[in-house]
Amino acid sequence: MQFDWPAIVRSLFSREAVTAVAISILVLGVLLAYLAWRYMHYFLSDAGIDEAVEGTAFERTAQRFGTSTVGLIATLVGISIYIGAMMLAGAVSQRFQDVSLWSPFVAYLPNLFVALFALMIGLIAGDKAKLSVSEKFRSIKLPEAELLPELVKYSIIFLAGLVALGQLGVATEALLIVLAAYAFGLVFLGGLAFKQLLSAGAAGVYLVLSQPYSIGDEVRIQGQRGIVQEVDIFVTHIESEGEEYVVPNDQVFAGGIVRIRD
Amino acid sequence: MSALREFLDDIVADTDAVFLFSPSASLYQSFEDDDTEVVVIAPENTVDAETFVELPLEFSDMADRIRFGVEGALEQEYVEEDADVVCIGDVFDDTPDSIVRVQVADFSPSGVYGLFVNSRAEPSVINDVLDVAVELGKKGQKGKPVGALFVVGDAGKVMNKSRPLSYNPFEKSHVHVGDPIVNVMLKEFSRLDGAFVISDGGKIVSAYRYLEPSAEGVDIPKGLGARHMAAGAVTRDTNAIAIVLSESDGLVRAFKSGELILEVDPEEY
Repeated sequence: MQFDWPAIVRSLFSREAVTAVAISILVLGVLLAYLAWRYMHYFLSDAGIDEAVEGTAFERTAQRFGTSTVGLIATLVGISIYIGAMMLAGAVSQRFQDVSLWSPFVAYLPNLFVALFALMIGLIAGDKAKLSVSEKFRSIKLPEAELLPELVKYSIIFLAGLVALGQLGVATEALLIVLAAYAFGLVFLGGLAFKQLLSAGAAGVYLVLSQPYSIGDEVRIQGQRGIVQEVDIFVTHIESEGEEYVVPNDQVFAGGIVRIRD
Repeated sequence: MSALREFLDDIVADTDAVFLFSPSASLYQSFEDDDTEVVVIAPENTVDAETFVELPLEFSDMADRIRFGVEGALEQEYVEEDADVVCIGDVFDDTPDSIVRVQVADFSPSGVYGLFVNSRAEPSVINDVLDVAVELGKKGQKGKPVGALFVVGDAGKVMNKSRPLSYNPFEKSHVHVGDPIVNVMLKEFSRLDGAFVISDGGKIVSAYRYLEPSAEGVDIPKGLGARHMAAGAVTRDTNAIAIVLSESDGLVRAFKSGELILEVDPEEY
């Protein structure tokens, strides 16, 4: 059951008192918004957000405008609380007679904030992902390898943009189809390309965990006989008389292992 | 001052190459446009130099650093064997303060560079093991000096040329040297007798290993104990290298192909 709080307040107090209540709600809202802003600042900095976003393009842009990511989020939260208080005060005092003119926009506000927030997180996460991916590929000086971090970044931003547009109620069907095609391509082609690696990795997990053979054992795998030198997730190194076979782990499974004990 | 200047001119006259040890970006830039060959020798290639020799550990002694740099540059064919090289490096601080002229031909290769780069195990693994040994030598086990023997690389063959003294604490475990927690583990296990066996990729295969190579024809300096003899012998029999921390004199020594290659004092790090 839902109470119509503004109506209750109006029935309880006289007209002047209602105005006073509305004003006090407004003042309380300002105070609350300020406190929320302060607390958000403190909380986000404490959680290490400002360090996490350091160096991303979004943070740099924010800094150019004399603020920071943490500041922006805190301001967003503060503003949303303040607007909430304003709406409540307006409803209580019934100052704005023609509420119907306002309400669509007001109802829209939370979505707008969520959309902004999603976009912000998307931009930062995209930048972060790009940084960490390019860090991984730092030793590979190939133009193709530089494409991958960008791809990761824009994929994340695209997703965030989709979420934001969805919040705003913009028709995103076409974009969703693009996303579906993209995801399908990623899964299908990725699966196709990584098939060998994936099956070798899956076999490798078993080999590493249960160790049917370990370093120093003499084994025969796929007709190659030798001493095991190294077992990792994807391959097994077998050496015999100066020749080292690097056998993918899925072949170890496919062909079985012969351990030679004598 | 003119005498000094003349002397300096003599030192740097007719050089074939300049070796910069851990140069700053601006120093490298100023040399880069020169027409003499410039080789950068540093733990990390921070200046993106094309001719670069990686220092696997911070040699505190300038002479060791130069020796490593020269061997590395020779190996990678940055300089000829009869080249004259001027080395610019730091003896005291992190700023370049000394100029040394060396003739590459005068160096008898000690194999320090080969120890790291041309061994079976990855250089970073050897580096990590050396770090553990140095740290162990510095602190000891609970304040008492300890000895330790690490056999790195060619683990399959080493395992076949050794036998367990007791249960292997690393059985079915997946620990690699270089993880901070592993260094603590290695330190704890260093009170066990026998050798640690570490694979090419850095996996700790076994502890408590009694090495059984034939020690025939192993030539290591007299006065070193059984641990060093075993280390020398196992590296002669296999393609592994051995890193030994001596219990008696606290030095860390590295063996390859049955020969003593490197000797470092943990206290100097």
